[in-house]
Amino acid sequence: MRPQHWRRCLISGLATLLAATAAGCSSRTATHDGVRAIGVENQYADVISQIAGPYAHVTAIEKSPSTDPHEYEASPAIAREIAGADLIVENGLGYDSWVDKIIAASPRPRRRVIEVRRVLGLPADTANPHLWYDPKTMPAVAKAVAAALAAIEPARRDYFIANERKLAASLAPWKRMLADFAQSHGRTPVAVTEPVANDMLEAAGCDILTPRGLQVAIMNGSDPSPQDVAAQQALLSGHRVKVLVYNRQVANPLTQSFLDLARKNGIPIVGVYEIMPTPGYDYQAWMRAETEALIRAVTLGVSTTTLESAGSRR
Amino acid sequence: MTGLHALLAAVLAPGFLANGPVRTALIVGGGTGLVAAVVGVFTVMRGQSFAAHALGDVSSAGGSASYLLGVRPMLGFIGMAILAAAGMEWADIQDARERDLVTGVVLGAGMALTALFLYFDARSGSASGAAISILFGSMFTLPASIAVPALGAGAVAVVTIGALYRPLLVSSLSAELAAAQGTRVRLLGLAHALALALAVSLSAMTVGAILSPALLIGPAATALRLARRPGPAVALASLLGIAAVWGGILLAYDSYYWTPGHGWPVSFFIVFLIFLGYVAANMASGSRTAADVSRAEPHCSRCEQD
Repeated sequence: MRPQHWRRCLISGLATLLAATAAGCSSRTATHDGVRAIGVENQYADVISQIAGPYAHVTAIEKSPSTDPHEYEASPAIAREIAGADLIVENGLGYDSWVDKIIAASPRPRRRVIEVRRVLGLPADTANPHLWYDPKTMPAVAKAVAAALAAIEPARRDYFIANERKLAASLAPWKRMLADFAQSHGRTPVAVTEPVANDMLEAAGCDILTPRGLQVAIMNGSDPSPQDVAAQQALLSGHRVKVLVYNRQVANPLTQSFLDLARKNGIPIVGVYEIMPTPGYDYQAWMRAETEALIRAVTLGVSTTTLESAGSRR
Repeated sequence: MTGLHALLAAVLAPGFLANGPVRTALIVGGGTGLVAAVVGVFTVMRGQSFAAHALGDVSSAGGSASYLLGVRPMLGFIGMAILAAAGMEWADIQDARERDLVTGVVLGAGMALTALFLYFDARSGSASGAAISILFGSMFTLPASIAVPALGAGAVAVVTIGALYRPLLVSSLSAELAAAQGTRVRLLGLAHALALALAVSLSAMTVGAILSPALLIGPAATALRLARRPGPAVALASLLGIAAVWGGILLAYDSYYWTPGHGWPVSFFIVFLIFLGYVAANMASGSRTAADVSRAEPHCSRCEQD
């Protein structure tokens, strides 16, 4: 069930080699001021930034909202960044397993690694790796990040804790939107292409009717079964769903055929992202924008296919 | 009649024929099985099995490039296969060892291009899962609209082979004899190469570029083991090709109910059926001498009559 990719296996071997080389010349990073932090996915980098403020240099590795993160390949420059980082936040669940190999290949005594899957106490065989769509995730991540930053820079502990509380509080409007929608539109039937935003859809009280097997096949790029494809087609052509939620970052002829079928049958479509679209969004604004798009689709029948042209709304 | 119905109901899982992706797969896959088998008989007789394999691999470069260009994968497969087939005919290497060598080198270059284009595909974000679908096929994701162009391309290949049936047969068995009869051997070779390119492209689109030679060579080789004359061999190969594809689709559909997860890949079943057919045919024709089978003996007796 983990989103493994055959090519990634080849690349991670290479990445390990590169990291080993990079670790040998990390003296360059010893002179810097402040904490060097990495959020492997840019939504985690955003959370680190919100808590660390000016006291950390934060880098995101997966930051392109137009490519499939499951097919990510590491480069030598990224291996060097990881080797020199004090704090790394990774998702886990095979979503970014290549990072672990680079970390293992370049040991660094003071480095702290936060795996979001562990922070949430989820089992290693959790089917849906897109953890950041669960409203409970980021407050827990923020807490772990604040604790790690406080351990690295004990003098600024109060500042980090205050920011962590601020972040948790700032998620309230989003959670309220989800709860209100769940109450006013209980069990809204929806179709999806992938399990990306499923945690958010469930928090909004939606009933995801797409067969699980099809979602996993599309996520992992494997061969879908005809039964599952036909079931999805029937959901759309039979008007049995109110909206089709699709992963903007995973497009292929099959997902395109579902979009075409939804359009033909007048079913609104909502594009969701695996990686936070930037510029213009922080994590909170991104989640609110996608929830808004879902609500507009269900209540007004309006499609939202992109968030990227939104400019500098926050 | 009721007996037949009961049999069908027992074999066909519920909803098999009503399933949209299955119907598209049956039409496009069945057509491909037929075309590949007809062309494949001549490919095997001409000793070009390895060239056919290489064409499949090279065509995958076109398939993977199609995602970047935003055109149908079928167009990419066909474009690249025709280019490569024409190139092979143009090079016209007579020495078998030299030909294998060049074919192998070209095959490698084709796969290298595929690797590059698949990398660009992953970067552009428009082709998730393209690698599996191009290399190993994903028949149940074929759009229904592909049926007409696919069958059209297949018809062109079959008509080409049909129109040139006799001279192609003679030149496949002995180029010298064909030339002596006044046949333009190179033009014939080119026509066969174009038909082969179309058949390979259709096979690559259905069972994947890596597996396409199985569909092309397997039924033809099995039929040539069993039938003593080219005519019946073509007919038998067509039947076997269609049966393997349809049987594979049926097994893949049924496997949804007896495998954990959501069924096994259809390409696996098709190619495995072809393999089993070949093994069975070998066992059935085991009484014949190996030499009788390996040289295209049975057909020579026929062409000498002409």
